[in-house]
Amino acid sequence: MRQVARCWPRVLLGALMTLSPLTLGGPAMGQGGPAARGMHGATPFEQQLAMLDAFGLDKRPLQQAPRGVDAVVWAASIPADNALTPERVALGRRLFFEPRLSADGTVACATCHDVTKGFTDHRPVSEGIKDQLGRRNAPTALNAAMLTSQFLDGRSPTLENQARLPIINPIEMGMPDEASAVKALAGDAEYQRLFQRAYGRAVNFDDIARAIAAFERTLMLLESPFDRYLAGEKNAISAEAEKGWVLYNGKARCQTCHPFNLSNPLGSDGRFHNVGVSARHQKFEELATKALELLEKDASIHALDRLALETDMSELGRFMVTRNPTDIGGFRTLQIRNIGVTPPYMHDGSMQTLWDVMDHYNKGGEPNPYLDGGMEPLALSEEEINQVVAFLFTLTDARYAEENQRQMERQQEIARKKRPFRDEAMAFGRRLAFEPVKKEPRP
Amino acid sequence: MYAKRVAIGALLWLGCQTGSGAGQTPRARSERAPTEETVEVKLCDDRTTTTVPKDMPPTRENGQRVADSLMSQWKREHPNQAWEMKVTQSHPTIPPPADNRKVLEGAQRTDQTYALFTERDVLTWERETLKLVQEGARVFHDAEAMEGTIGVSCDMCHPDAANTHPETYPKFQTQLGRVVLLRDMINWCLEHPVKAPRMEPDDPRMRALEAYIIAQRKGVTLEYGKH
Ligand code: HEC
Ligand code: HEC
Ligand code: HEC
Repeated sequence: MRQVARCWPRVLLGALMTLSPLTLGGPAMGQGGPAARGMHGATPFEQQLAMLDAFGLDKRPLQQAPRGVDAVVWAASIPADNALTPERVALGRRLFFEPRLSADGTVACATCHDVTKGFTDHRPVSEGIKDQLGRRNAPTALNAAMLTSQFLDGRSPTLENQARLPIINPIEMGMPDEASAVKALAGDAEYQRLFQRAYGRAVNFDDIARAIAAFERTLMLLESPFDRYLAGEKNAISAEAEKGWVLYNGKARCQTCHPFNLSNPLGSDGRFHNVGVSARHQKFEELATKALELLEKDASIHALDRLALETDMSELGRFMVTRNPTDIGGFRTLQIRNIGVTPPYMHDGSMQTLWDVMDHYNKGGEPNPYLDGGMEPLALSEEEINQVVAFLFTLTDARYAEENQRQMERQQEIARKKRPFRDEAMAFGRRLAFEPVKKEPRP
Repeated sequence: MYAKRVAIGALLWLGCQTGSGAGQTPRARSERAPTEETVEVKLCDDRTTTTVPKDMPPTRENGQRVADSLMSQWKREHPNQAWEMKVTQSHPTIPPPADNRKVLEGAQRTDQTYALFTERDVLTWERETLKLVQEGARVFHDAEAMEGTIGVSCDMCHPDAANTHPETYPKFQTQLGRVVLLRDMINWCLEHPVKAPRMEPDDPRMRALEAYIIAQRKGVTLEYGKH
């Protein structure tokens, strides 16, 4: 449990850990649970739940907007038929950790959105049932409640809609259909009781998704050193990070796509941009031609879900949803809250460190015909890159402080050895995109 | 000191300082002349003056007395000038920002990610704009937030920001002897009747004051240079 932030007393934690099997209940959680059969790399759920308990998220009054969020915008983001209640949140929490919602009982939401890993899996791409790998990196489920669309191509409009898809995606949780998921829980007397209490109905698929969404709305982690700094506590972040914040708003141009304000505190504009991540290894035109043929036959959300997770067409991003040529290779701006603890980065998990991310932006992204107009070489010096990175590490919620520190050291170590995306000639405009790379002496 | 503390930090965190920061700042008492028995207070016109005892507590009541004394002199000298003087409101009325819902109507452009707007975008614009204006209203009504030293705040002479005429800027201000922007005039008034230090143009309080003053004139025709 080293990931738990120092401020949470160990005694309390110990007590919670002994309690958690009780609060968990469910037969699949015990000895016969996924731990025994291989967790696809996830931290044991008991341990995840203990960490979650220590976060104290259940102490926030559900009728209030979370700290750092505009109350009016928050209220507008909650659907009328799924008002937050403690019963719904409790049910959703249980379902989030419920491997019985997967075909072979080894995968739950928490497998890929692991509490101890900032609600990601720390893998380039995720692994579902039968150890199958997908094509996309799992973004964090933290703060997802404030996103204006779900998934990197925005194919899903809401949390309620999003939660339905992984359960029946063949390479994630792999249930053959929605009815099978309901059947897996419907015989359980405890679930019957919990569904009745939460929604006044028997177990059904819509409410499974609703309850999970309600639980996710409690996962708002927006209390970082940077927030304390903005509130006037000047020493909450280092002088280096402070310079990084100025660059973020100015020379580095991050604010354009990653804006912060109370109405939208995640650092995502919710728009789709081709920042040239997939351009490195794709032939967009060939893929797009193939995609148009397939989508002609079936453009349902389930078809989109499978194409995004199982095929090369994943790299077409938003184009799959809109079939609009300007959306080729466009992905929804990822939030950068808690960014320090959610590596690797980008939709394909292709960047191991925040230094890699900065190298990518510094050279203006990977050139391609669909590159967003907001991308251009930034001419940031090494010192300036370090400043922006230092700033990015201040965006991690205090509850992940220890993991953030560990990640920073780990990433620093990796970046010292290799910086695969670094291209100073392009960053400083000494070489144009079409010119061949020449070996340059290090400055 | 306050300005420096927030200058970098809150530079672009528009309006997010609501309810924090300014109120906790130590007051700049050193602004007062240390040896005199009284302090001279000048009006925004740079002519009308009054004096207050050096050790007058900077309460709202005292501030209002100073403001009233200055204004009664000024009104005597400008009998023909229309000056709106309603009861000062502690809960300022703020007209809502423009309704931008229209951008969501009909078919939106789909060929440009930057030109595609959502309900959330529109709500974000509205809330963030309103919050900056609300913060401005708070500062405008709060001598302490402006680090004023004699308890005078802007609303005491400009109820609901009346008579501030933001729509006439830029214009030549004779007090300042040059063409000025609204913020220059705000700074002038801060130094003069309010007896507060000037604010940096990027000071979040200055940005908020400007926002509030402009918002109060919603619908008025822009006529720069008008006297
Ligand atoms: C096998 C791993 C895996 C499982 C299981 C899984 N997810 Fe995900 N999740 C992902 C990946 C990968 C993505 C990104 C997919 C994409 O963008 O196309 C994602 C995306 C999301 C997002 C969108 C976040 C964003 O920034 O757009 C949310 C929310 C989410 N998952 C919640 C859940 C919930 C709730 C469950 C359980 C019902 C779940 N996930 C199960 C891997 C997984
Ligand atoms: C033109 C819009 C745009 C600009 C400018 C921009 N970003 Fe991004 N950012 C995105 C998009 C879109 C993604 C997701 C791209 C993908 O996954 O392919 C992203 C992803 C990221 C990620 C990865 C997040 C994750 O969880 O994997 C980080 C970190 C990031 N950006 C930081 C920055 C920084 C720092 C800057 C300024 C140097 C910046 N961005 C400038 C649009 C932008
Ligand atoms: C004691 C009363 C008083 C106080 C307090 C006061 N003002 Fe004024 N203000 C006046 C008067 C009187 C004038 C008109 C001066 C003139 O016409 O030369 C004026 C003029 C102005 C103008 C110019 C209006 C125009 O027509 O161009 C602005 C802007 C303004 N004040 C803003 C403020 C602000 C902001 C504050 C608080 C920081 C403030 N005032 C405090 C009395 C006051």
